[in-house]
Amino acid sequence: MIRIQLINRFPIRTFPLFLLISFILYCSPVTIHADNGYRKLINCDLHDEACVHRVDDTDIILEVKPRPVRAMKDLVFTVTLSGNSESPKSPPYIDLNMPGMDMGPNRVKMNPVGENVYEGKGVIVKCPSGHRVWRATVTVPDLGKAEFIFDVIY
Amino acid sequence: MLSTDMLALVYLATGFTVGFGHCIGMCGPIVVSFSLSLGKGNIYLPHGLYHVGRVLTYTILGGIMGATGSFTAVTAHMAGIQKGVFIFAGLLIVVMGLAMTGWLPSGKFFRDYYDPVGFISRGFKKLLNRATTPTFFPLGLLLGLLPCGPVYTALIGAARAGMETPTPFGSILTGMGLMFAFGVGTIPALILVARLAGMKWLKNRAIIYKFGAILMILVGVAFIIKAIRF
Repeated sequence: MIRIQLINRFPIRTFPLFLLISFILYCSPVTIHADNGYRKLINCDLHDEACVHRVDDTDIILEVKPRPVRAMKDLVFTVTLSGNSESPKSPPYIDLNMPGMDMGPNRVKMNPVGENVYEGKGVIVKCPSGHRVWRATVTVPDLGKAEFIFDVIY
Repeated sequence: MLSTDMLALVYLATGFTVGFGHCIGMCGPIVVSFSLSLGKGNIYLPHGLYHVGRVLTYTILGGIMGATGSFTAVTAHMAGIQKGVFIFAGLLIVVMGLAMTGWLPSGKFFRDYYDPVGFISRGFKKLLNRATTPTFFPLGLLLGLLPCGPVYTALIGAARAGMETPTPFGSILTGMGLMFAFGVGTIPALILVARLAGMKWLKNRAIIYKFGAILMILVGVAFIIKAIRF
């Protein structure tokens, strides 16, 4: 059996220094840079207002309440279609995920609550990585998809 | 709507894909730590027991979600426990890394380094030595509570499916079945990671072993910081 003697190579007095370095490495370059990268993708501020994405001649308007948008809370998603195209044959739905990180399928099913207005309940989960940028992909059958990328409060 | 059987298959497939796409990055450090600390022994039994424990926790959580039908109500009560488990996992990884490097004053307690003198040594000898392989089962039970995005997502689905099941008992069974399928789906990726980390050629090289230990400490510290922020 090979016996690896590391004890003498790592004097215990170097350990606090090592912890400090690891803390700096963790807190500054890697994770913050990664999160900043995703933050550049944000195209929507759902904390303050509804967001609009145009597909063909139709505006797809997404609103999430209550505001501000928090993770691990019951949220009501409202999609309103405004424009020249006809109402879709089936209601839209929303897929929630994170850019760059697979969080598993999380679909919000929507029901009509008015003319071209649809509502559904869902939850945005909290990612232990600390990344707070989420993507809601609204799919409107027969029309297309709209991607809303936004910040979530953890 | 899909039948429960079909939904379980979807959950199994989801667990499998998420396992390779997400769990390797987030939970991989834990299984790597186990593999490295297990030394040259058989890794499959301890890892198997760990996953049985983890999947059992998911299954129980699925049953609770199915019964209540409310993801947020249950997780609100679990938040404190999950934070504690998150910190514990980080500490565990740090201690295992320290033990491998010998930085702990009485830390020579894993296999090659084991010295039966000292309170900490004896404690961790009991916790992680091959002689106490069954300990990996309760470890899996506990670490199954680690906060994890895809597990949360699966639990949302389990709660939803539970709500759509007509009887209370059926709701519990549906939630349990779905989370069991999801948990089983995540196993192959983590076993693969454990196997790669447990390769003999890797452990027989001091430099890689040393870097493994340092990485474990780094990751453990990262876990603790994330847990405090969580």
